[in-house]
Amino acid sequence: MIRMFVRHVTKDISAYCHGELSSDESKQFAEHLIACAKCRTKFEEVKLGIKLAEQLPRLSAPDHLWNDLEPLLEKRTTVRPSVFWTWQSRVAAAAVLLLASLGVFWIYKNRSSHDVRRPSLLVKRLDGAPKIGSEQISNNGRLAIGEWLETDGGSRAQIDVASIGNVDVEENSRVRLLQTRDDEHRLELVRGKMSARIWAPPRLFFVDTPSAVAADYGCAYTLEVKDDGGSLLHVTSGWVQMETKDRESMVPAGASCETRPGVGPGTAYFDDASPDFRAALTKVDFEHDPAVRSAALTSVLDHARPRDTITLWYLFKGSQGKDRERLYDKLATFVPPPPGATREGLLRSDETMTSQWLALLEPTWTNYGGGKMVPKKVADAYFKVRNGLSRRMKDMMPK
Amino acid sequence: MVMAEQLIDERVIEACQQGDRDAFRLLFETYKDKVFSIAVYSSGDRALADDITQQIFLKLFTAIRQFRGDSEFTTWLYRLVVNACLDERRRRRRLLPWGEMVAMKKAGERKPQEKHYARLEISEAVQAAIGELKPKFRLPILLKYIEGLSYDEIANVMGCSKGTVASRLNRGHSQLAKRLSHLNNPEVWGD
Repeated sequence: MIRMFVRHVTKDISAYCHGELSSDESKQFAEHLIACAKCRTKFEEVKLGIKLAEQLPRLSAPDHLWNDLEPLLEKRTTVRPSVFWTWQSRVAAAAVLLLASLGVFWIYKNRSSHDVRRPSLLVKRLDGAPKIGSEQISNNGRLAIGEWLETDGGSRAQIDVASIGNVDVEENSRVRLLQTRDDEHRLELVRGKMSARIWAPPRLFFVDTPSAVAADYGCAYTLEVKDDGGSLLHVTSGWVQMETKDRESMVPAGASCETRPGVGPGTAYFDDASPDFRAALTKVDFEHDPAVRSAALTSVLDHARPRDTITLWYLFKGSQGKDRERLYDKLATFVPPPPGATREGLLRSDETMTSQWLALLEPTWTNYGGGKMVPKKVADAYFKVRNGLSRRMKDMMPK
Repeated sequence: MVMAEQLIDERVIEACQQGDRDAFRLLFETYKDKVFSIAVYSSGDRALADDITQQIFLKLFTAIRQFRGDSEFTTWLYRLVVNACLDERRRRRRLLPWGEMVAMKKAGERKPQEKHYARLEISEAVQAAIGELKPKFRLPILLKYIEGLSYDEIANVMGCSKGTVASRLNRGHSQLAKRLSHLNNPEVWGD
């Protein structure tokens, strides 16, 4: 473990991105990257280089090349009888050439929709008879970009997400592969439930749902999409960000987050928060009536424990006016702001004061469900990612 | 292309070794775009790339008799291509300074309206930046992204270890990113 943090992995970045490392090496690489700011900075740079290099097109040789070449070949040819190429063979070769050209043309014309060489992921049957498209898979199958994987009440399947992890697709689920390449793997879950275990740097693996996108930050989690398009995320290890264009919610291990269509993600809460706290939070997040939300906020504040400061903090960040003051006062009773940070400054979102207070709050969020502590180095690394790098990486990988 | 490459089997190569023109035409049609692409990116000049490609196939026409099947044919071919590009560069360096590549365009500054044009511009900027890399960093990138070779295959072509390939690709990617850092902007990519 100690060695993992000491040995930097900058020289392996390209090999990692190109899938040239073994499974164990990839895992170690990803774990180190989460904890090492230096390597993450370099990773960001190399990844941009890869993205740029991928823009290099293959060029077409000019048509006149063979005509120019043929007379030169003539000069070099000593006439000799062909052993292999009889006239029948020449006809066959001409046919082969024609077929090859037609084949290449066909591949070119159809590569966007039916190219069998489309990028794909390995799918293993776990139970029953899952389907890819209309085809049942026996033991293994390939899920190509654009294809649907579907399970019924008696079937389950596992998707290998390149070398960065795997996803169990539970019963009665429908999943589509949207993208798989070095810098992005993206699934779409429109119905049912999946469990993901990913050992990758932040923001390489995404799951789109009808109401939000789950962005992985090196973690394990379950994600369930309900009939109304809402979803429920539960994180068991690491961190996941639920996001839409307008809203985002960071969810640590031991916590959950609900999303609703047309609204996006609600606020993260620890699973051991009281039922009253959770019920009130749902109203704060998703009720339209400001009076109902304000009343619900009172209940949230009444039932909050010191450990629930993660929920209070994100509510505080998105609040205004009286509600913001109430949230501040409650947070300050659990974790007083540091010397120099004032109530007025924090209420008006003074950047320095906010980050100083956040630094005191964050360590209280790393103790999750089973009482197991997230290693401080990993937690520290996460917050660095959260506060800076992640934004830049997100910018670097436009959707 | 995979389909076309699969047509190049031992019998076709054997026929080429015996000087058969039709077999060689098949070989030419299969690999011409790949060879030409590397020649363009290596020389930075399309007209010169025409000449280089022609010279490579001319050399292949006679040298193929020496191919004994000890390695994959493609590995052997790409070695020929890489050496030809390096030779050409050495020859040209003696005559005039290298660098006739299209002027590097600052895609980020022009902000084209349409995504297609933005991508085209990025592609041109990358082509120009690739041309400014040292050959030892440029060639592994070309073999990776144009030919789609694995690290092991690139190592075989370049005659170096897999670790060296990884290291050179890493440095090549870093240099590309530094040279084109102005493209690290979602607006430029038009997504």
